[in-house]
Amino acid sequence: MSSSATPDLAFERHTLDNGLRVILHRNASLPLAAVNLWYHVGSRNERPGRTGFAHLFEHMLFQGSEHIPTHDHFRLIQQIGGVANGSTWFDRTNYYETVPAHQLDLALWLESDRMGFFLPALTQENLDTQREVVMNERRQRIENQPYGLAGERLHELLYPEDHPYHWPVIGYMEDIAAATLEEVRAFFRTYYTPNNSVLSLVGDFQPEDALARIAAWFGEIPAGPPVPPVSAPLPPLGGERRAVLPDNVRLPRVYIAFRAPAYGHRQWYAADLLAAVLAGGKSSPLYRELVYERQVAQDVGASVGPYESAGTFMLVATARPGVELAVLEEALLRAVAKAAAAPPDPDDLERARNRMQTDSYSALQKLESLADLFSQFTTYFDDPAGVAGEAARYLEITPQDLMDYAAGWCTEPERVVVSVVPHA
Amino acid sequence: MLKVDRTVPPPPGEIRPFRFPPFLRARLANGLAVAAARLPGLPLVSLEIVALAGGQFDPEGREGIAAMTAAALDEGTVRRSAIEIAATAERLGGYFTTGTDWDVGYLATGLLSDHRVSGLELLAEVALSPTFPEGEIERLRQQRLAEIVRRAQDPSTLADDRFQREVYRGTVYAHPLLGDQESVLGFDRDAMAAFYRRHYTLAGSILIAVGDVEPEALLREAESAFAAAGPPLPAPAPPEIRPTPLSGISVHIVDRPGAAQTELRVGHSGVPRTHPDYVPLVVLNTLLGGKFTSRINMNLRERHAYTYGAASRFVPRMGPGPFLVNASVATASAGDAAREVLHELRRVREDLVEPEELDETRTYMVGVFPYTVQTIGDLAKRLETLTVFGLPDDYYTSYLQKIAGVTREEVLEVARRHLDPERIAVVAVGPAETLEPQFAGLGAVSLWNPQEQLEPVQQESV
Repeated sequence: MSSSATPDLAFERHTLDNGLRVILHRNASLPLAAVNLWYHVGSRNERPGRTGFAHLFEHMLFQGSEHIPTHDHFRLIQQIGGVANGSTWFDRTNYYETVPAHQLDLALWLESDRMGFFLPALTQENLDTQREVVMNERRQRIENQPYGLAGERLHELLYPEDHPYHWPVIGYMEDIAAATLEEVRAFFRTYYTPNNSVLSLVGDFQPEDALARIAAWFGEIPAGPPVPPVSAPLPPLGGERRAVLPDNVRLPRVYIAFRAPAYGHRQWYAADLLAAVLAGGKSSPLYRELVYERQVAQDVGASVGPYESAGTFMLVATARPGVELAVLEEALLRAVAKAAAAPPDPDDLERARNRMQTDSYSALQKLESLADLFSQFTTYFDDPAGVAGEAARYLEITPQDLMDYAAGWCTEPERVVVSVVPHA
Repeated sequence: MLKVDRTVPPPPGEIRPFRFPPFLRARLANGLAVAAARLPGLPLVSLEIVALAGGQFDPEGREGIAAMTAAALDEGTVRRSAIEIAATAERLGGYFTTGTDWDVGYLATGLLSDHRVSGLELLAEVALSPTFPEGEIERLRQQRLAEIVRRAQDPSTLADDRFQREVYRGTVYAHPLLGDQESVLGFDRDAMAAFYRRHYTLAGSILIAVGDVEPEALLREAESAFAAAGPPLPAPAPPEIRPTPLSGISVHIVDRPGAAQTELRVGHSGVPRTHPDYVPLVVLNTLLGGKFTSRINMNLRERHAYTYGAASRFVPRMGPGPFLVNASVATASAGDAAREVLHELRRVREDLVEPEELDETRTYMVGVFPYTVQTIGDLAKRLETLTVFGLPDDYYTSYLQKIAGVTREEVLEVARRHLDPERIAVVAVGPAETLEPQFAGLGAVSLWNPQEQLEPVQQESV
């Protein structure tokens, strides 16, 4: 496909003596600077019985550090017109703020203070409050949402008990309640080191000046020991797993999942493209069949999780009132079987490829999203140029790749089916 | 090597000026208004027709017709079927969508800027020649009915719906935008086609175009794409919506036995977006519940840990949109959380806010503004606001200046004028058995089931 402009994604890359990797991308279209830090730690670094810890820890990093009083992180950022947040995922935890460009130092001060001087500010009281806040977050986002527990159940079935994607990022309630101050300290010392982190800066600044400031704020933080490796053995499932979840819902919904290769592999992109071929948009074959023509589904979707150790390919459809889930399951499985046996319709492939291109451009619109992508590609692949190369990865994928992924991975013994049904 | 001092906030550097991105407002020969802005950098464009055709125009008994008419626009044109419309945009890597809010109905497409002429032609075709095919309309109606069923399982939606019913009793804002089971069965394709003819007139519409395209070039292309439109009919004026003030504190519990948490809403009707107090009101709200460090969030989340987050807002509408506080709270704390919200509303009406607190709020609002105009969607929304609410071209520039000038006295004045914690609705969606005793003494309590039926046996007043 032709396009009038290729986005400017030039960057500089530096590594401080303590191992902190720094990516700088100048974009002066607005007087803003986006600061983004990825720590290469997530729920996959936890162990059973202590799930949800990485995320609870993320909350604690907003509770002040040696030079920042408890509630001042957000206050200091907001009073100069900045926004800030953080998030935790299976493989990483990120912290980010966008500030007026002339306030770059303030963001660097706050981020470097919690990387280098966090422990002196840690209190039991703050931990108690944040445990409660996180338990409310779990209730709000998972337990009190229709279908909210399905994703959790799917991961429990798709990955074995000792695999780090088995448990949910937010953790189980009893584990969140059990977290101690000593565990917070140990977690910080193990994972929150400059050598386990990437700092990306995107916005209106001069790279040389910005690098000097970053070195001044972060350079004195000592490197930590190497981070313990994560073991993620993944034997084949070896037999279909099914679960039925009664929930406070009126319309039943079925989820079907298969594993996929880790994010970054060619076959991961094949899986992602297959998801778009099957159910990306109202003109996709599954939407057409189930929603427009047979009118048995309220909605249908497909997606692939971009995880570092393994991908998750998921299909989901919600039934119209009075429709049995078996009808939807049959149609979804038939679509997958067809994808394994025959190449996709050329129109569907073109639609999916073009959609990937616009989606990848759209993801670059906000400075903070772009900074996050630089951190992501540097953390996972040590390759910030991957941000610019992402759209082209999809163009390399052939019809045969789609068939190979579907035939090799989406088989009956490797399948998980979770049905969410109304309470009896 | 630079030396840093960690003990105090670092001094700012030299401030860089911000100017609202330039945009063009014009009118095509056929009367269609256009607002266009260039946002370079990425080869994308968003094209949108916004018509004065929102839920405020729903006639009594036909609630939901505005929303369903918008949804039906892309179900077929004189040239294309529903699937062909979707496929045309999606083949180009884009999307085609329609929708409504209380004020307006819209049709929108987004695609690579190279394809913008195709996008404009598709947009014009759907805007000017929808056919409302009988079969597609019936499918859409069944989908709507299922959606209404689905909404009744979502606690947040249940809370919003009950809140609207109570606060806007007797006005068009009382019903859900989608309508209900009965009203959605109460209009046919002819009624929708008539609604379309009346409200999607080009004279009351605007084309909003934002992206990597020169506004002047776009204007020429739009002139040609919309050339087929006939002479525009005048658009009907929005109805006047006058909610009756509430008569005290009332509590409305929607029972979800076994629910893991409680959805809480506290509020009453507010003011139209064009009210002269709007700017000081937004400053008041930001301080009260519009940012992480607001009074309400710091109280409910950081001090009491009742919730993952609490926020308040004045919802901007042509008519008097609601003022409301929302939070998902631990069920055991729902009564306390509601009382803390009322406490914060009373407190901000009693005393002047602290000078430092106001200062932080104003600098936040002014400083954060550039962050809110980064994307094509951000900018399109701003242009829509200017047009729908009839605001001048320099509105956003003077808006920032006005915010910087709001005083403590004005904040107190608008708080006293527009917040009323003694005549307010409290909605709690969760397990009634646990919730009911917590609200004793606060106000009259009524109990509802999720199907919106009053459960009269347990109704009590205090």
